[in-house]
Amino acid sequence: MNYDDETLMAYADGELDAKTRSEIAAAVEKDPELAHRVEKHRALRARVSGAFEKVLDQSVPERLAQIARGGAGSASESAASRGKVLQFPTRTAHAPVTAWHAREWIAMAASLMLGLFLSWRIFAPAESELLVAGNDALMAGGALAHALDNQLASEQRGAEPVLIGLTFKAREGNYCRSFVLSESRTAGLACRAGPGWQVSATDSAPLPQGGMQQASSALTPAILRAIEARADGEALDAEAEKSAQLSGWNAGIASR
Amino acid sequence: MTETAEEIGERIVELLPRLRRFARALSRNQHDADDLVQSAVERAWRHLDQLEPGRNLASWMFGIMRNAWIDNRRSHGRRGEVPLPEDSGDHPAVSPFDIQTSLWSVSEAMSKLPEEQRLAVALVLVEGMSYKEAAQVLEIPIGTLTSRLARGRVALSAALEGKTP
Repeated sequence: MNYDDETLMAYADGELDAKTRSEIAAAVEKDPELAHRVEKHRALRARVSGAFEKVLDQSVPERLAQIARGGAGSASESAASRGKVLQFPTRTAHAPVTAWHAREWIAMAASLMLGLFLSWRIFAPAESELLVAGNDALMAGGALAHALDNQLASEQRGAEPVLIGLTFKAREGNYCRSFVLSESRTAGLACRAGPGWQVSATDSAPLPQGGMQQASSALTPAILRAIEARADGEALDAEAEKSAQLSGWNAGIASR
Repeated sequence: MTETAEEIGERIVELLPRLRRFARALSRNQHDADDLVQSAVERAWRHLDQLEPGRNLASWMFGIMRNAWIDNRRSHGRRGEVPLPEDSGDHPAVSPFDIQTSLWSVSEAMSKLPEEQRLAVALVLVEGMSYKEAAQVLEIPIGTLTSRLARGRVALSAALEGKTP
């Protein structure tokens, strides 16, 4: 008896009625190929649910708890005392949005200036200048080192010679950043080592068509694996990236 | 007997860890996920009068989150969603422990799924809902949920193995 994939998936998810379930269980006993297909469904489920499991253990940000209670305490009390639920003010939602507008404009101006500076300074840089052999490691040099030091992913236009992807803190406590060299289509990962950046992985990255795109999306599976082997937690958001840069990529100062 | 706003508020607070997990499964990072939770919860309070008596609060909240997520994507465009480049085949050694538990690759693979498949995967595989519950949240027939889930799983396995489906 052959079963289609949706049925096997429903079986693996425990969704079938008792009769079909025992039929498939019997078939799986006899057929290793069928057993393998069921096992693949279970393994994927375990992997996906396991990946997000730890979110449940994180503490919930206080702002969310406040909003969940109905925004300002007084609003929920007065609504409750009237015995009826009314619309609550949502001021909290709009405040950060307005702040972002100003920040975005500044970011745009800054990235424009940075872009002009970079295109003036290095026009199609040679690979040899970007990766420099150190004592016993490959170090970032030239425009790559410059971008790793100064460029923020949140302020990129997408046309820079070096695109910064994700920035994160490694288990060793230092910062690492993924990057893409536009010209040579090389993706890589560099981690802070002393005053410089040690390049710990590179991979060829065929950039998708269409020019402007996020460098974080140009992560190749190989770079992603290199990140996973090192990362302690999640990627920094725009704000944390900025404060890390202001600290001179000194993880001890910028920890948050 | 109707609940007071305070009681509903406490029940929403209890749901927050699960709402954050669901949002994280839909977003690229926890920062964006928490913004999504915030807009869903605010939306819930604005539309509390639409919560019918006897309706499961969790199911209703997850449905609101789905709407908030979709609206948010419509208004901001689908930034940063480009296909994953082909694998070079050069894999540095990573212990199976990292692979099994890491959020990075699963999150990256999830972000490549079409909306409808991502929602089905997030509700069933991440949130552990039954097909029936997930179909209720998404307001679709169970058969539709099942086929979206099956397609989502195929695409997800392919992305996690570094292949283009």
